[in-house]
Amino acid sequence: MASTSSDRPSLRESLGIQGRVIGALLIRETLTRYGRHNIGFLWLFVEPMIFTLGVTALWTATKSVHGSALPIVAFALTGYSSVLLWRNMPGRCIGALTANSNLLYHRNIKALDIYIARILLEFGGATISFFALSLVFISIDWLAPPEDFLTVVGGWLIISCFGASLAITLGALSYLNELVDKFWHPASYLLFPLSGAGFIVAALPPFAQKVVLWIPMVHGVEMVRDGYFGSQARAIYDLGYVIPFTLALAASALMLARYVSKRLVPG
Amino acid sequence: MIRVQNVSKIYPTRFGEKLVLDDISFNLDHGEKLGVLGRNGAGKSTLVRLISGAELPTKGRIDTSMSVSWPLAFGGAFQDTLTGVDNIRFISRIYNQDFEKNLAFVEDFSELGAYLREEVRTYSSGMRARLAFAISMIIEFDCFLIDEVGAVGDARFHQRCNKELFGNRGDRAMVIISHDASYVRDHCTRFAVLNDGQMVEFDDFETAYSDFREKIGIGQKKQPKTQELPADRRQLVETTHSVAVRDDAFTVLIQDADWKRDQKRWEEAEVTYEKALDLYPYQRSYWVQKGHCAKEAGAFLRAEAAYRTACALGEPFQDVRPHLLFTTKQLRISLRDYPLHNYTGTTAKDQPAGIPDVLLFARAAWQTAHLSDQELLDLVRAGETLDALLASMIDDPRFVPGIAPESNAAQKISGEPEVWAKNLVVLARPSSASEDAIAVARRITMPQDAWPVLMDVDGFAGWSLAQAAIERRSKADG
Repeated sequence: MASTSSDRPSLRESLGIQGRVIGALLIRETLTRYGRHNIGFLWLFVEPMIFTLGVTALWTATKSVHGSALPIVAFALTGYSSVLLWRNMPGRCIGALTANSNLLYHRNIKALDIYIARILLEFGGATISFFALSLVFISIDWLAPPEDFLTVVGGWLIISCFGASLAITLGALSYLNELVDKFWHPASYLLFPLSGAGFIVAALPPFAQKVVLWIPMVHGVEMVRDGYFGSQARAIYDLGYVIPFTLALAASALMLARYVSKRLVPG
Repeated sequence: MIRVQNVSKIYPTRFGEKLVLDDISFNLDHGEKLGVLGRNGAGKSTLVRLISGAELPTKGRIDTSMSVSWPLAFGGAFQDTLTGVDNIRFISRIYNQDFEKNLAFVEDFSELGAYLREEVRTYSSGMRARLAFAISMIIEFDCFLIDEVGAVGDARFHQRCNKELFGNRGDRAMVIISHDASYVRDHCTRFAVLNDGQMVEFDDFETAYSDFREKIGIGQKKQPKTQELPADRRQLVETTHSVAVRDDAFTVLIQDADWKRDQKRWEEAEVTYEKALDLYPYQRSYWVQKGHCAKEAGAFLRAEAAYRTACALGEPFQDVRPHLLFTTKQLRISLRDYPLHNYTGTTAKDQPAGIPDVLLFARAAWQTAHLSDQELLDLVRAGETLDALLASMIDDPRFVPGIAPESNAAQKISGEPEVWAKNLVVLARPSSASEDAIAVARRITMPQDAWPVLMDVDGFAGWSLAQAAIERRSKADG
């Protein structure tokens, strides 16, 4: 029976519905995006892997200067994988409601579910890609295993939470104003070199350090590198800044999503 | 129970806020079927979206203690790039239902066969409708929302839909919104009319329907505001159908006429079709209907003229043939002696004439809109080309050149021109004319004006037979 009654379902029932809806949306999204042709849903992480490998190759070839003794492969893998995380989530959520507004005719699907499904998909793709490439590089000895695995996970989750909050905020704003879509593309390109993907904070002059530490994803990347390399390079990050920042952004994301879902006009 | 309490919906637009629904309240109990009539843009679809929960009201609240469907037969609820089967799987997951059972039902009901494994974007509109309806039936809702059904699919599919919906699910509540008043009449137990954001409920269909007719301005001589006229007669003939079916005044008259026809009240039906055709005289398929009614009523002169008009406007002869032959047999004439003129998509002057053209010329050249049935038929029979028809009417003793309107009086006119004035300008005006066609039509306020105004804008330029006739006239007069 479709549960559309106004008698409030218990929290457990609600969570059950939510889980089912998001699960169904995830599968639908995967099928729509990757189809069943050639390698199908493997593209989910093959695509980011190709990106990361390309950037790694490019940086190795040009011997990019990053101001530390770290091997370039390790540097590119940690840096570019994080970029994929915070850049692709908003990219997927912008315009997501307009494209999927028909789904809202199903009473159990809410605007937020559509965002969450897309974010989980991006998170999964980037994480599997990061994990798989790490294993490959470690197994061929291009990369030492992480010194502190849990710190890596922590940094990775911080970037993910930041990316997800940013994604919902921008996604909801893009429903209200199409300029968001136009500005996000240049903004994400400009943020890329500033995000910590191409440098380590400790190698910057003190003034520049102060500036880049205002940018939240820098803290996440530094934390991932802290976990990976620990003693080899000095990582600089402040959880006391990035966690409150992300929480505030998440709160605004939820409020915006609610504001927008009240004003949605399905096609 | 669905409880709609003081619901208003406002959409922001570029030009400020638009109030679509204004303080609407009603309750719907289990098993009740509410039919909502309303013109285009009255907010019917908005109401359905609000009840479905896809959209939230700006003010007021909607409480539901029963499960409510999405708008039925609505194709947008599935994803185009997925296959039919994947869509069924998705819906089954969302509503926590047994996929295999649902698949079996949809396979059986939609009769799409192997196509169910193809992407939905490759479907025809009929196939989409079948899939959409079948998917809508797999969830057992307490209340079904039905928004404009019946545009696609064949008669057998409709029957099966009706059986599934009103037979097997006859005990459910329903909200039906439709243009098709007979659909609402046949399936609903409660009736309401939505107009200007207000919803008024009525006890029975007849009062609801007459209120609806009044609201959309039947009998009030209110015409839709024209922005632009067709470029020429060909465009007029070929686009009139799509324009007419979007005009509520036209569709309601046609609906009314169809009912009278179904009840075999032939004379009344013919008159009603004629009223609809007054609004869109070049709508060919209803000339056929008018012909049928006249034939059944024994008015064979009018029937033949109507059938000939339909053919002259592009109705395929094969479809009209048996009826036309029956009629000519009653009149004891043969198509060999009076050949039929079929539509040609050439310039106006070479196109064959139908009743609307004859009446337009009669207004312009003879200053009358009243011809006897016999006279009308004779002119249609002879109207192989409009040029020849007009020439013969100018040569006729009844020709009056009219009186030119005072120029300063013409300046003031900015209202909506009459249908006949607009159509006459479309026929006569050379396509190279600089003056806006609608402005020309505004200058024609009375039949006396028509001829001088048309001559003033170089009307009928290139109509060699008509021009020669005008020449003869002026010599004879001069």
